[in-house]
Amino acid sequence: MKMARSGRTARALIEEKRALPFVAPALAVLCLISLYPLVQGITRVVYSYRALTRKTVYTGMENLILLFRDPVFLRALLNSLVWTVASVAAMFFLSYILATMLNSRYLRFRRFLRTATLIPWALPGVVVSLIWRYIFLSDGPLNAALSGLGVAHPPAWLTDTHLALWTCIIANVWMGIPFVTIMILAGLQSLEGDILEAAAIDGASYMQTQLRIVVPSMKKVMLIVLTLETIWTFNSFDIVYVLTKGGPGSASMTLPLYAYQNAFMYYQAGYGAAIGIIILLILLSVVVLYIREVLR
Amino acid sequence: MRMRPAKQVLLHVAVVAMIVCLAFPVLLLVLTSLKTEADIFTSPGGFPRSVTWENFRFVIAESTFFTHLRNSAIVAFSTVLLAIVVTAPAGYALSRFKFRGRTVFSMWLLATQAFPGIIMVLGLFTVLNVYGLINRLPGLIIMHTSFALPFSIWLLKGYFDKIPVDLEEAACIDGCTRLRALVKVILPLSVTGLLAVATFSLLLSWNEFFFALVIMRTNESWTLPVYLARFLGSGGVVQWGPLSAAALLVTIPVFVLFLLGQRYLVSGLTGGAIK
Repeated sequence: MKMARSGRTARALIEEKRALPFVAPALAVLCLISLYPLVQGITRVVYSYRALTRKTVYTGMENLILLFRDPVFLRALLNSLVWTVASVAAMFFLSYILATMLNSRYLRFRRFLRTATLIPWALPGVVVSLIWRYIFLSDGPLNAALSGLGVAHPPAWLTDTHLALWTCIIANVWMGIPFVTIMILAGLQSLEGDILEAAAIDGASYMQTQLRIVVPSMKKVMLIVLTLETIWTFNSFDIVYVLTKGGPGSASMTLPLYAYQNAFMYYQAGYGAAIGIIILLILLSVVVLYIREVLR
Repeated sequence: MRMRPAKQVLLHVAVVAMIVCLAFPVLLLVLTSLKTEADIFTSPGGFPRSVTWENFRFVIAESTFFTHLRNSAIVAFSTVLLAIVVTAPAGYALSRFKFRGRTVFSMWLLATQAFPGIIMVLGLFTVLNVYGLINRLPGLIIMHTSFALPFSIWLLKGYFDKIPVDLEEAACIDGCTRLRALVKVILPLSVTGLLAVATFSLLLSWNEFFFALVIMRTNESWTLPVYLARFLGSGGVVQWGPLSAAALLVTIPVFVLFLLGQRYLVSGLTGGAIK
């Protein structure tokens, strides 16, 4: 037993020597551009810029403590949670329906229709945001259509306190659907046809088949897509920045945008870093949940 | 088991309706770019009453569009090249060698996805500042490459896993090096994987906005997304006609390349996730 283990270690060492030159470039880039900046960025939290003396001074945990007395931060935290949960839930719901339909044997022009589904994926985030900002203008195409349908007072999508965040969510869902759809579609295609036939013969209803067979056997794909999409949505910046800049007031403010404003518009890099640390803690717990679920 | 005709029609109607929802906003962009200012004002959602090319002429002749196009092209193509050069060996090592820290390396790749942009940009600002790379293209290229790495390594590892080890051992029976085996045997067999990585990193770099906004500080160094955001301005009247034309010009190159590469990207992404 002991022999075997030392033998394995010896071989592993040789392997390591051979692997190192291959991994080294990626490792170097990742350390220089992701590990070092991560540490460097986090340490910024202990410094604050004082406008009065125009000096950056050490302030310890002050930035982190201030966060929880800042109503805009608390609003942004709540908004970010709503933004992420609502976006990801809507993306999964719509993408699941679309993928099931695109997977149907009875659908014609399947290849063409599948490619057409991908359209929003190719657009730059800023372009997507510009298009939706135009659509949602108070005298824009959407409200023109609503007036045409007889709606007397169509809503001010971008400037209404209760609507602004949801308007951004619609744009975000639109942009996210292609990726989620093709991943779910790939999962559906990997299902064995026999199982579904067998279920049909045994008299399982449509919903039973979906919930008991289809969804569980796609657990792995669903988990990775759910994790990635949650992280990307939480970190997303373009849409809110272009659509509402977090307004009106802080009605649609999200954490990444608030962090950006503090660090690069109000010269409070330390406070921006503090917000970043909160984002990091939330997202790392998402990653940990994912890893635990995969290893189970 | 056959599907009833009525049901089949319903299926097609539903699919087409959803795809129209996905395509219509893009069509709207095209329509708006061809309209006069008066036309945009009177019928924001309809077809142009008379097609005008004035918006495109304005963008091409009277704005700094080509400067930003050049910046974006340099950054995107360098990112693609660098991403392939750096990720191919790493993906190969993950696929072929067992080494200590292999699992940690994989986990780290996933964790990088969770790093908040703001922390990274604050940290990178310091790094780039040291080397005088703020506001310069190489700085942005390095950043975009680092974002493209984790996903690309994961993609390529999936491709390499599918190639039998015997193949390189047979080809290298006279004892050629591992690097030679990678270049001569593995890479030619994974062209589709390399195309997937190329499409992915091209899309990522061309469309990336946040980091470009923060580190490209002067007009002549802006990439296209930053130019579009500045074009929109902050408050005041927005010139939707020229802005739509500019947005369309930004989108067309990446859209065409996406259509060419989407097959490889889709099979790469889904292949990796299903296994």
